[in-house]
Amino acid sequence: MIQVTHLQKQYSNGLQVLRDVNTTIKRGEVISIIGPSGTGKSTFLRCLNMLETPTGGQILVNGEDITSPKTDITKIRQKMGMVFQSFNLFEHLSIIDNLCLAPIRLLGKSKEEAKKRGLELLAMVGLVEKADAMPSQLSGGQKQRVAIARCLAMDPEIILFDEPTSALDPTMVSEVLGVIKTLAQQGMTMIIVTHEMRFARDVSTRIFYMDQGVIYEDGTPEQIFGNPLQERTRVFINRIRDYRYTIHSAQYDLYELQGGLIGFCQKYFLSEKKQFNVQLLVEEVLKVVPLDKGDVELALRYSEKGEKVSLELTMPQGVEQVLENDENIDDLAMMIIQGLCQNIEYQHTEDTGQLRICLTLKDKPLKDKK
Amino acid sequence: MEIEKALNGTELTLKIIGRLDTVTAPELEACLKESLDSIANLVMDFAALDYISSAGLRVILQAQKTMNKQGDMLIKNVNETINEVFEMTGFVDILNIE
Repeated sequence: MIQVTHLQKQYSNGLQVLRDVNTTIKRGEVISIIGPSGTGKSTFLRCLNMLETPTGGQILVNGEDITSPKTDITKIRQKMGMVFQSFNLFEHLSIIDNLCLAPIRLLGKSKEEAKKRGLELLAMVGLVEKADAMPSQLSGGQKQRVAIARCLAMDPEIILFDEPTSALDPTMVSEVLGVIKTLAQQGMTMIIVTHEMRFARDVSTRIFYMDQGVIYEDGTPEQIFGNPLQERTRVFINRIRDYRYTIHSAQYDLYELQGGLIGFCQKYFLSEKKQFNVQLLVEEVLKVVPLDKGDVELALRYSEKGEKVSLELTMPQGVEQVLENDENIDDLAMMIIQGLCQNIEYQHTEDTGQLRICLTLKDKPLKDKK
Repeated sequence: MEIEKALNGTELTLKIIGRLDTVTAPELEACLKESLDSIANLVMDFAALDYISSAGLRVILQAQKTMNKQGDMLIKNVNETINEVFEMTGFVDILNIE
């Protein structure tokens, strides 16, 4: 249905929001796009119906290249509805007139025909009694439901939702999500940019995790939320907070580092015991890894979701083996490291292949008083 | 870290206050080196010790070895967190902890 290849968008100020987006979207798919702010989610959506003009790449909709100047974009947009954060209703028109305007003008429907369909759609979103009201008389949640009904009035083949609930009070979010869920059950093809993770998990057939201007990970909700393969996805999904510090030499400032660790632990309300263990783990690990071969990047990570604390060290290039049985290694430090950690893993970074050591603290090394 | 010394005949009590880590362990090591001659009983009071790492443990182990030759060593007022480090490293079996 939609094929996107090497899509790019760079603004005139040089900011490149989309670097290289590639994907294929099939009929009937419900795709939620998640990811941190500023990573191109909304821009990607707006490029799909040419509200933003891509600066590179191609978008084929049912085989037609919509980035080509020859394409009648208005015609394409009729098949591709869009629901915005801020509803964008015509404030001077009644609710039913908001729904009838485009079908009459663009689809050539009669007034009666358009009104009949409009009332059906308002019934579907639970707002038929508001047909003659003005938008200003409606709550935010009601306005958004009208916006969805208005979109459906054009009989679109696909609907693009750009953060449909982010402008709503929390109390109104569920009524809008409920309508979108119904559409998903009816088989409507939808692409939804959302920050509602539970909703994305429940309603989608596929999730795009966008980061750094690309679709960083694409998978089923089970994969993305249950077992993300990419590191950035994991950080995002597990709401991981981190504290980073670079060790330049063996003469590093222990107290500056420990001060930073304590501040981080206190910020996220980690128990005194955990604060102690974090400091101890860091000090001991820095005793047994080589600090004279180049910078060692240290990251303390706290996953708010699982309340897990882990320490990650990225070693300088060329350092391959540490914390292994070695006759020169500090036994006492190793004993403490092993006592504190439930898991020690070795990985290599995706880009430079540097050795990365991940140490996960035991939840309760012994007793934890909070 | 601060060290409060109290000498009572051949019994020396050292109260360690604060952190015993890579930075401060050499200070305790130096203090022990100059204080243990003719001491028969060494008491280390950890009531005000907030933190200990392997660097501190190593100094304590050295003191224990010295005292094995000339008398006794006792560690008292160990808090729960620091006792866990002793347990993790097997020091509970080596040291005399009250």
